[in-house]
Amino acid sequence: MIVFNIWSTLQWYLRPFIKWFLRKTTRLCELQRICYGEKPGASRTCAIEKSLLLSRTPCVREIVSYLDSVVYDRRFIPENFREILDPSVSVIMRAKNIKPSLHGPFITSFRNCLEQIWSYKSLVDEVEELRRSQFDSNNPEHEEKLLRLWTLLVPDVKLESRVTKQWQLIGFQGDDPKTDFRGMGVLGLENLLYFASEYPQASSHVLSHSLHPKYGYTYAIVGINITSMAYYLLQDGSAKTYMFNAKQHMPNVNLFHRFYCYLFYEFDKMWIEAKPENIMEFSIIFKKFESAIRTELADPATVFRINIEIDTI
Amino acid sequence: MGLLSILKKLRSNPDKELRLLLLGLDNAGKTTLLKQLASEDVNHVTPTAGFNIKSVLSNGFKLNVWDIGGQRKIRPYWRNYFENTDILIYVVDCSDHQRLEETSQELAELLQDEKLRAVPLLVYANKQDLETALPASEVAQNLGLHLIRDRTWQIQSCVATDGTGVKEGMEWVCKNIPVKK
Repeated sequence: MIVFNIWSTLQWYLRPFIKWFLRKTTRLCELQRICYGEKPGASRTCAIEKSLLLSRTPCVREIVSYLDSVVYDRRFIPENFREILDPSVSVIMRAKNIKPSLHGPFITSFRNCLEQIWSYKSLVDEVEELRRSQFDSNNPEHEEKLLRLWTLLVPDVKLESRVTKQWQLIGFQGDDPKTDFRGMGVLGLENLLYFASEYPQASSHVLSHSLHPKYGYTYAIVGINITSMAYYLLQDGSAKTYMFNAKQHMPNVNLFHRFYCYLFYEFDKMWIEAKPENIMEFSIIFKKFESAIRTELADPATVFRINIEIDTI
Repeated sequence: MGLLSILKKLRSNPDKELRLLLLGLDNAGKTTLLKQLASEDVNHVTPTAGFNIKSVLSNGFKLNVWDIGGQRKIRPYWRNYFENTDILIYVVDCSDHQRLEETSQELAELLQDEKLRAVPLLVYANKQDLETALPASEVAQNLGLHLIRDRTWQIQSCVATDGTGVKEGMEWVCKNIPVKK
């Protein structure tokens, strides 16, 4: 621990010298070296983010806090990207003496990194807002979503009434799901709904496992616990690997939902493979699953995909 | 410190580690209570599939608190956790009038179990911040606590989300630790 502290202090003082030396020898600034040297995706974007946060150049710091304020004002949305990002890129390039005419590829790559970094920050806020809004049975929109979840998961069975024991079939605890969302609020419902609507085969495959006579579990409750896991991974930045490596997708709520679907699908696989004695083994298997996911996320090269081909056979 | 006082100290705390069992219907507030005891954030609680366990230091005791999920499907597994329980803590959502009957039946069954014989009982009358919450005295009446003869018991009103009343309950727990043979 002490060695680590000394090393990080030393690094702080040495950083400018190392950077100066590299700049003189490679004739490229750190941002350029990252954009040209690191693989696109999490390795590149995370390195750019770190470099920007550690920067002591006033211009760069100003841009960082400007972009943060845009996220704070909820204005970091695709329509505004051009107007926000283009000037930010030019300011930093001017400060770093990068000639646009010579470094075209840098502009594209650097701009993309900025877009990813601040989209992620914006997503964290958006997800937090969904989590904070409690499920409210007086809100027709919430109710409609809940009923839609039922129709998507169990299309052949009609819900007898709004409050009924039937909800337990899809793994809610009692006869009214409204108390089950708890600390995850509407986020939990949105996640379940996305999985059911966008991956109908995968979700019904998972639901059928949850109804297994021996290895069954409570689908919705486990789903809400997966929401909690996805939420924490997003909050502490671990989910960056997933989000930045998702090609063709910027971090946004739908990508978060996809991340959730991936986790749910993979958890189900692990649960069934573990052949648990009963539901009481949930906490142990869930912890094991979380640490496995964390290990995978720690490697910036990991790309996550749901392998749905298996169950379409 | 003289030998006598050391002996006294040893005698008064024969075993400083205790096993607390937290039971109650789903949505009663068991996990929130557990988090409150461990001074953790209570805003991100999810329904418990299976169980949670935490060790908490309180009044010089190490409390191993077992929080078992309350939904109907899990209740049959409650029995697996009865062994060696020092204190039973039963949590009631006082605003859930409809299931007062159900929670009182579950408690009655617990109290008849041989493995929990003579184990002191603390009932937390939770969610007192809600307007519709019944007062602790009425809940006690409904649960028939006054008829209990074979163990010490206590009912404590509380609000698990902000911690009101939780400490008072735990003080009672620490004062009523059964003497181990």
